[in-house]
This record gives sequence, C-alpha cells and structure tokens, in this order.
Amino acid sequence: MTPILDVRGLVAGYEPGLNIVRGASIHANEAEIVVVLGPNGAGKSSLIKAIAGLVPVSAGQVLLDGQDITATPAHLMVRKGLAFVPQTENIFPLLTVEENLRVAGGVLARSEVSPRIDEMFSMFPDLARQRRLAAGSLSGGQRQMLAVARALIVRPRVLMLDEPSAGLSPKFVEMVFAQLSQIRRAGLTIVLVEQNAKAALAIGDRAYVLVEGREAHEGVARSLWDDPVVAELYLGHRRAS
Amino acid sequence: MNLQFIADGLISGSLIGLGAIGVTLTYSILRFSNFAHGDLMAWGAYAALTVLGAISALLGTVAPIGMLSFGWPLVVAALVAMALVGGMALLLDWVLFARLRAKGQSIIVVMASFGASMALRSLLEFSFTSKPEYFSRAIQMALPVGFGIRVTPDQVAMLLVTLVLVTSMHLFMSRSQTGREMRAYSQNPALARVVGIDVARIVRATWLIGGALACAAGIMVGVLVQIRPLMGLDMLLPMFAAAILGGIGSIPGAVLAGLIIGLSEAAAVQLIGAEWRAGAAFVILMAVLLIRPAGLFGVSER
Repeated sequence: MTPILDVRGLVAGYEPGLNIVRGASIHANEAEIVVVLGPNGAGKSSLIKAIAGLVPVSAGQVLLDGQDITATPAHLMVRKGLAFVPQTENIFPLLTVEENLRVAGGVLARSEVSPRIDEMFSMFPDLARQRRLAAGSLSGGQRQMLAVARALIVRPRVLMLDEPSAGLSPKFVEMVFAQLSQIRRAGLTIVLVEQNAKAALAIGDRAYVLVEGREAHEGVARSLWDDPVVAELYLGHRRAS
Repeated sequence: MNLQFIADGLISGSLIGLGAIGVTLTYSILRFSNFAHGDLMAWGAYAALTVLGAISALLGTVAPIGMLSFGWPLVVAALVAMALVGGMALLLDWVLFARLRAKGQSIIVVMASFGASMALRSLLEFSFTSKPEYFSRAIQMALPVGFGIRVTPDQVAMLLVTLVLVTSMHLFMSRSQTGREMRAYSQNPALARVVGIDVARIVRATWLIGGALACAAGIMVGVLVQIRPLMGLDMLLPMFAAAILGGIGSIPGAVLAGLIIGLSEAAAVQLIGAEWRAGAAFVILMAVLLIRPAGLFGVSER
C-alpha cells in the first residue's frame, strides 16, 4: 500500500547548520492514526512543523499522495491537502468562532464555504452554540475543537496535530481524542505528536518514538506501551506519572 | 460659550481619523510605525491637483456641484489620485520596506520610513515649491446650523464622504474575506500562513487601502484648508495619537479617537489659545501611553 504521507530522511532546523530534525523518516497510510512520541527536545514539534512548511528543510523529502511537497510555502500546504493544528495559539481569539472557520474556508470555492461551516457545526455542536462569540472566550477544550474544525473545513487528506492534549483537563483530553477517533473513521489520515503517550497510543494505529531528531522505534500503537525497548527509550519514566 | 469649536473639531477630527486608519492598519499588519504615512496624504493632494489640472486643460472650466466649491472633475481626480497613491505605497513597499522587513528588524523599517518621509516631502517641494495651492479659490459662505455654529457646504460634504469611507472600511474589514484575513493576520501571522492565507496578498491590500485612504484624507484637507508639501507632516502626530488612543488595529477606535483629538485640538484653540493646538494631541498621546497603553478598543499583548 502506498502511504498517503511519506516523509523520507527529513533534515530541518530554524538556523542553517543547527538541525533539530536529523534524518527522520515516517509514513502514514490511508485512514490511519500515526502517533509520534519522544522525550522533550527530541524534535517532534519541529518535525511536524517542517512537514507543514514552517521550519526550513535542508534535506529529505515529503510526499503527499506520491506528490513531492517538500518545502512548499506553508500557506499553500492546505491547498495540497495537508492541514496542521499548532500546539498553542491555534485560533484567532478576536475573530468570532464562525469567522475563524470562514477565514480558513477561503481556500474553498466560495459556494462551498457556508455549507461546509454548517457541516463543521453539526460535527461540533458546542461550537455552533457559540458561533457569534469571540473565539478567545472559549474554554481550552472548545478552542482545541475549533482549531480541529478549522483544519477540517478544507477537507484535508492528512490532519497533523501538535500536542492537542496540552493544557487540557483529563475530561477534555478524552473528548478531543474521541473526536479524533471519529474523524479517522470517516477516512482521514491523522498524524499526532503527543506527550500524553497513554491517551495517544490508545487511539493510535502505529507509533514512532523520536529520539534526537530521528525515529528510533516504530510499532503498532497498542503494543508499544508494553515494548521494553520503547520503555527504555522514552516511556519508562513516563509510565509512573 | 461659542460652540463653533464642536463643528471645527468634528470636521478636522474626522480627517485625522481617516488618516489614522492607514496608520493603525500598517502598524497592526506590517508591525511598524510608518512615518511616511502623512506624506502619502500630501502626495495624494498634489496628485489630485495635477489630475484636476489635466482635466481642466482638456475640458475647460466645469461648473461646481450645487453649493460646493468644486465640480465633478475633482471627484474624478480624487478617484484617480487614490489609485495612484495606493500604487505608490505598493511601490514604496516593494522598493524599500519589504526588503528591510525581510531582515526582521522593525526598528530599521521605522527609520527607513523617516527617510522615505523626508525624501517624499522634498520631492514635493522640488516639484511644486512650498507655496500653498488650492483646488478652488471660490469663497464659500458658512451657513448657520443652530447653537451659533456655522459650517460651509464643503465641510458638510467632506464629513459625509468621511462617513461613507469609514463605514465602507468597517464593512470591508468585518464582512469581506480579505478583511477577515487582514484581521486574522494581524492577530497571528504564523497561524495565518497555516490556514492558507497568502501573506503577500494581505501586505499588498494593506498598502493599497492605507495609501488610498491617506490620499482621500489629503484631498479633503486640501479642499477645506490648503495644499502644502508639509500638510502631511502636520497631521502625523494627531494621526499617531488617534491610532494609539483608539487601540492599534481597531478601525472604529482610530475614527473615534480621531474625533476626540480633533475636538480637543479645537477646544484648546478656542479655550486656551491657538498655540496650544498641537499640544492637545501630544498630551492625549502621553496620557494614553501612561494610563491605558492598549488604547480604547485595543487588546493587550498576550
């Protein structure tokens, strides 16, 4: 099976000669949730940002559905079918909930925007009730929902999320992850960078453990939790928490 | 007490507010204080004067509209000049500001805008001399409107034009996709790229709109007062005071603050003395920076 997203030997960093991602290779198949784990500073966020075109790439390739999209400018990535939800500041707080969706819908044909917003509101009824409120007034969990809805509105092939559970209460983490599972069932491919390994592995299909900017281990998500190699690489000191 | 200062203040305040929209847009979207903004006003007035001269040369004298001091050629000249100054602002960005912005140090861009301001002003003085010019030398009678206040038909017309421009601008920013994208970009440039907003397009829209509105304000000052190379420089402090008092990025804020500053200046002239006029904007600017740095409608940096 040809992967939808295929990242090959990616090298990337903010400054020339200071690479944070050092030859990472990961892939994601159709309708699969791929989890990227790793200790702090392993380059997880930088990897996902480099794929999204936000960190300069110096070597390697990113293929989306067989098409080379390496170093495509970030604003063109959504048009290629790759949507990204950053970890923090992932909504426009002074725009209303609906305006946040409308801004993102600019990529779609004009006649498609309003029906698509309605679809998002039926998928996230909580947001529909607050559509006219400033997005900055939403709770943490609702903001995350809005960020996901904002990414989904363009019908991406691949949805990438950087630590969607960060700063959320356990109840909201459960809610967000349940939503992601549901979105995957609709056929979307999801790449999830997470610190919350337990919750992420519970919904993931496959997982990578990233160490020092490249993947050190790959496996089936559910079995990774019990893998002694992974425990030593990363999970060991997390499991007690 | 003579209430004339209220009418005078509202009229000059609306022009300050119109100019301040460009200042506040440039500041919130391009993230620098453009000190050349006032000179775009002056260039706008001279551009309209030049186009008006060309129309008059081609068609001869055209009768004024109703009780106004000008005819439709000025309306046409104003529209042409707005397009020209919008284009000039784009050119200025392409030649100067975009290159410096790419280096990422906003203080250099601010300094460059000082340089651009001086160059633009000198070019006007070189081309048109510093002698004041007028769109029309017709004398207008001020009509009484009650409470001892008198206004000229031109003043009423300019107030209405400002109202139309400000309302259109507000609708554009709140209802159009480009307006929403401009607001989104000013809040979070990185996220704007992630959601697919073309930054180059937003920057172009900002310069075009800022330049065109500065031009409109310059022409209106020209109609109501006179056209001089220094006219933009004189408006610079009140416009910045209005942009800051209104809250950076807020268009209704800039307009309301423009009116407050216009009224304060006119009140200072009538109640204290004409030499205190410029002081009013300065005092308001200082007070806002000390008491409420985010301005009336601004949001503090997160």
